[in-house]
Amino acid sequence: MLKNVQEWVLLLGIFGVVALIGNWVGYEILPTAAVPGMLILIGICLAGLILGDVLPGSLPSIAYVALVGVLLSMPWMPGSDYIVSATSEVELLALTTPILAYAGIAIGRSWTDFVKLGWRSIVVAVCVMLGTFLGSALIAEAILKFQGII
Amino acid sequence: MKQQLTNIWKDWRLHAVVLAIVLVTEIIGTHSFNVGPGVVLLLPMLYAIIIGLALFFTPVIKEKQSKNAEPLIVLGVTVLIAKIGVIIGPSLPQIIEAGPALLLQEFGNLGTILIALPVAVWLGLKRESIGMAHSVAREPNVGLIMDKYGFNSPEGRGVMAIYIFGTVFGAVFMGLISGFLATWTPLHPLSFAMASGIGSGSMMAAASGSLVAAFPAMENDILAFAGASNLLSLSTGLYMSIFIGLPLTERLYQLMTKKKHSTSVRKGA
Repeated sequence: MLKNVQEWVLLLGIFGVVALIGNWVGYEILPTAAVPGMLILIGICLAGLILGDVLPGSLPSIAYVALVGVLLSMPWMPGSDYIVSATSEVELLALTTPILAYAGIAIGRSWTDFVKLGWRSIVVAVCVMLGTFLGSALIAEAILKFQGII
Repeated sequence: MKQQLTNIWKDWRLHAVVLAIVLVTEIIGTHSFNVGPGVVLLLPMLYAIIIGLALFFTPVIKEKQSKNAEPLIVLGVTVLIAKIGVIIGPSLPQIIEAGPALLLQEFGNLGTILIALPVAVWLGLKRESIGMAHSVAREPNVGLIMDKYGFNSPEGRGVMAIYIFGTVFGAVFMGLISGFLATWTPLHPLSFAMASGIGSGSMMAAASGSLVAAFPAMENDILAFAGASNLLSLSTGLYMSIFIGLPLTERLYQLMTKKKHSTSVRKGA
């Protein structure tokens, strides 16, 4: 457990540094402005990961991470203003770029499987993605319209 | 996530390569071009996944780096989820207000069956179609199919095909079509935001990231709705497949192949 926490801290720290540099280069937010927000995000991750580890039940750690984040930033929570303003200095797209860079490197190993798929599988896969995306969007549109939200 | 984490932080080659990719892609920045009435957005994250994949085939990245990258995706997505958590928090009143839409749009994930199953059957695929079309084929759905039909079954091959495509091209594909569809169709960006949560962190990030780039004024609402929807998809996706998706796909497949069968018999007669 302690060894795991140590590894989490180190890896989250590396990820945080890479993301902060991307945040600076791509979105012109100085690391000095974004460091507190990044530290808060990493703290939320650690709290969620540790909760997922020690609490019984089969909920994935990621559910606890989201829950901790939501609880800390709810309007009714004291100090939530600071958490929201500090973390808003970390751009979402500055987090996704390093994630997808790591993902690109990792999926290289699936490439040979991918090449074997054949064109019919690829056509069906495109339909699967379009199907879920359009299906959900159409239902959401109808209900949001009905409720008068959009 | 237990043992294999050891000493990945020491893989300086991996982290240096990722830092270099981030620097290059963020300097290139976002570009867009019009296709008819829609806009195709090229975001740094899309270049990042393609450069990463290309580097895998060069001596810069070895098998070891590729393996070590996997836990970092998981941890990176964790940071992303924390960020989405602190976006959802302040928007909680709006999310509760939009609760009915959020819950019901989960049924839209069954759209995979309505669009992909007829296409698969029409292309001449057999029971592979069931594995392919029953869901968006993320980890829980793959597990379900393997559990029910076995790894070497046609259904198992089908679900693996979609899983592999999603793993390799899901994020790129979702990033491209979400910006395009949101600018080209009359549907509201918030509807697409909810649709972005399909149960995969990287696909959700790519789809909602494109929406934010196309509609920056709605950034917080888009991310809050996408994040909440993704969490819902993660937690309901498996049950949706067990109780509705898979039985419905089986039934429709039987219906479609029976019809096809009888027409071919008629032709023969």
